[in-house]
Amino acid sequence: MSDVNKPMPERGDTPDFAKPGSLLHWLDKRLPLVETWNEHVGQYYAPKNFNFWYFFGSLALLVLVNQFVTGIWLTMSYKPSAAEAFNSIEYIMRDVDWGWLIRYMHSTGASAFFIVVYLHMFRGLLYGSYKQPRELVWIIGMLIFLVLMGEAFMGYLLPWGQMSYWGAQVIISLFGAIPFVGPDLAVWIRGDYVISDATLNRFFALHVIALPLVLLILVFLHIVALHRVGSNNPDGVDIKKVKGPDGTPLDGIPFHPYYSVKDSVGAVAFAFLFALVIFYFPEGGGFFLEPPNFEPANPLKTPEHIAPVWYFTPFYAILRAIPDKFLGVMAMGGAIGVLFLLPWLDRCPVRSIRYRGLSFKILLTVFTVSFIALGYLGTQPATPTLTRLAQLFTLGYFSFFILLPFTSAREKCKPVPTRVTYHG
Amino acid sequence: MREQKTVDVDIKRRRMLVAATGVMGAIGATFLATPFVASWEPSERAKALGAPVDVDISKLEDGQLLTVNWRGKPVWVLKRTPEMLATLDKVESELRDPDSNESIQPPYCKNNYRAIKPEMFVAVGVCTHLGCAPLFKPDPGDADLGSDWPGGFFCPCHGSRFDLAGRVFKAVPAPTNLEIPPHHYRSATLIRVGEDPKEGGQA
Amino acid sequence: MVKKFFAITVGLLLPLFAVAGGGHSGVELHKANNDLRDQASLRRGAIAFSDYCMACHTLKYIRYNRIARDLSWTDEEVVAKMAKGLSKPVDPVMARGDLKAIHQVLGTTPPDLSLVARLKGSDYIYSFLLGYFEKDPKKGVWDNHYLPGTAMPNVLEDKYRFAKVDEREALARDLTNFLEYVGEPIKVKRWDLGWKVLLFLFIFFIITYLLKKEYWRDVK
Repeated sequence: MSDVNKPMPERGDTPDFAKPGSLLHWLDKRLPLVETWNEHVGQYYAPKNFNFWYFFGSLALLVLVNQFVTGIWLTMSYKPSAAEAFNSIEYIMRDVDWGWLIRYMHSTGASAFFIVVYLHMFRGLLYGSYKQPRELVWIIGMLIFLVLMGEAFMGYLLPWGQMSYWGAQVIISLFGAIPFVGPDLAVWIRGDYVISDATLNRFFALHVIALPLVLLILVFLHIVALHRVGSNNPDGVDIKKVKGPDGTPLDGIPFHPYYSVKDSVGAVAFAFLFALVIFYFPEGGGFFLEPPNFEPANPLKTPEHIAPVWYFTPFYAILRAIPDKFLGVMAMGGAIGVLFLLPWLDRCPVRSIRYRGLSFKILLTVFTVSFIALGYLGTQPATPTLTRLAQLFTLGYFSFFILLPFTSAREKCKPVPTRVTYHG
Repeated sequence: MREQKTVDVDIKRRRMLVAATGVMGAIGATFLATPFVASWEPSERAKALGAPVDVDISKLEDGQLLTVNWRGKPVWVLKRTPEMLATLDKVESELRDPDSNESIQPPYCKNNYRAIKPEMFVAVGVCTHLGCAPLFKPDPGDADLGSDWPGGFFCPCHGSRFDLAGRVFKAVPAPTNLEIPPHHYRSATLIRVGEDPKEGGQA
Repeated sequence: MVKKFFAITVGLLLPLFAVAGGGHSGVELHKANNDLRDQASLRRGAIAFSDYCMACHTLKYIRYNRIARDLSWTDEEVVAKMAKGLSKPVDPVMARGDLKAIHQVLGTTPPDLSLVARLKGSDYIYSFLLGYFEKDPKKGVWDNHYLPGTAMPNVLEDKYRFAKVDEREALARDLTNFLEYVGEPIKVKRWDLGWKVLLFLFIFFIITYLLKKEYWRDVK
């Protein structure tokens, strides 16, 4: 671990291309380009021991860009009206040159977004990335997740297929469960007594401009807040505590070029899998594009089995598990809301699961198993047996948050090293 | 990056790999951009709506102009009289592009009549200046256009003048002759507008 | 330890999938085994669709000239073979019958079949076409195993009565093949482009991986 070997620029270095007389120099006088680059990329010191789990942040950004570009292109041919929406999707799929590819990139991108984000969040759980001093990073991240769910929900109405229609019908009806104002609220959201043209049009506006804007701002804040406190790592060690003679962390490496090249590998590998789905499994086995959605919305005929898209099913299963409409809605909301409180529910000072006690490991296992099981049950018809199981796993899901404050306060942790473990 | 302090960095290999990645990335980006660019081309629906139209000319009288809609644009079919055809040679010195070298027409219409059959004139009725629709003014010495007017087309927007073969006169705003669409004769009395004849030349 | 964690997680989840996945319902479907690359089959299917289905069913999301292009017909051939020359090549495939009159006879409007393969699957179409049985031979009343009480008459009745099983199955397969093609006309081209993209990305992956390895030699 000889740090003199590290080829890295010193702080305040001016790259050649920013010397006086250059265009960049002129620009830099007027915009903090070099400074911003250095602070967030060129001289942003990230722990050198990032593992597989640390790919998903940059991949989420990649998927976001994909959704923006393909989404903009889809709006060029899509018609947000009940009469034309379904036809315009088929128009894109058949008549627009390459429209099918752009549409598949967007529909697959929606599922990819959730895969990547769920793994990214799970990484946070594994290595305690939500803990002090990164509470705000976690909260902004949770807000991103919330907006993303809204974005996905509204986007799913736009194809105006049977699943679009009835899925939205079910979810909007949830608001009707709120005491006193509920029914009026549901009508207000729909702008009609049923899901209609008005609903579609406002969901379109929210999906293509309002929520993407919010998402963009939140992602920006997420990154700025992260860079303020620095990245966590699989050991949960604070790399800023051990600095070299040049004032940079001994266990840190500049994001560029080290993580830019590493994340490029991740991005290309991801692109490979993404292309594999787009070209050979665009329906994602009926999970990414659900078969009933190839039938135009029909307000008079409910499909036999309504299941939300897979990324909502864990929360949907919790909703169905509770035999009371209002409490079900509360449980579903609570399942998401309680995640916001995680930085304060976990009272153990050790971050990484590598050095945490058995109680946390058991609780996290229960949580993960419950989450996946609920996700699966949410896709299935609610038979009495499966409902019982869903109730069991709902209990498992919440037990993580309920027990954690008690177990984490008296957890027997292993000693945390002062330096990260890295086998180069 | 500043000078490497490391002993064993193979700068050459590094540069080569950076270049290779850059080249691959550029190729990939180009491929990826292609669908997005191509999706702006007219869709299959637009092409279907812009499909060729058949014009029945059996009832067209001498000197009569028929306007049909092709791809949302007016297309004229004019049956020219021998007198009309005679004016075409006379005005040649007053034209900007008498041989249609800079104008748009299928090769089989690049002649003095700008037509397959001299008497049948088919043209897109859109002024080459700024896209207005010129008026049909067949009478020589038209009251509005002066005694030297040989008969032709006049664009009311900015005063561009064209002869009866759609050729533009000098000293008017329009830069080129009127466009001739691809067309051919399916029979003696049926013209198909929007499709070249099968064998390239005459139909 | 993360590996151990996953082993335990998967171990705990497996019994659940076993319990829940067991309950399959509905009638077992026959495998269509159709081949979208078999252009002869697609062309037979298109003509069969015209003969047996087009009295009542539309394919409103596809135009004749698209079928011509994908099935290697000329524009003239496709309208001659499928529409008796009565439609233009740029027209979508519409039913020959008057759908309002058909509604009065059958009590329902025959659905557009452009997307039936994506909605129900090819195996369903194949099974459905072969799934008719004579409920009341005296009155000539037919029903279907896969959609009991269907309003759709058995249009392949002559093939049920007078043709060999092989012939009937071949016809159903061609029709299924054609409807799967209509469901997503780009499908074969999508497959053909896919592996090229994947190959490119694989090479790109190797290069970026080497680049990463090279830079990370600095990190000790």
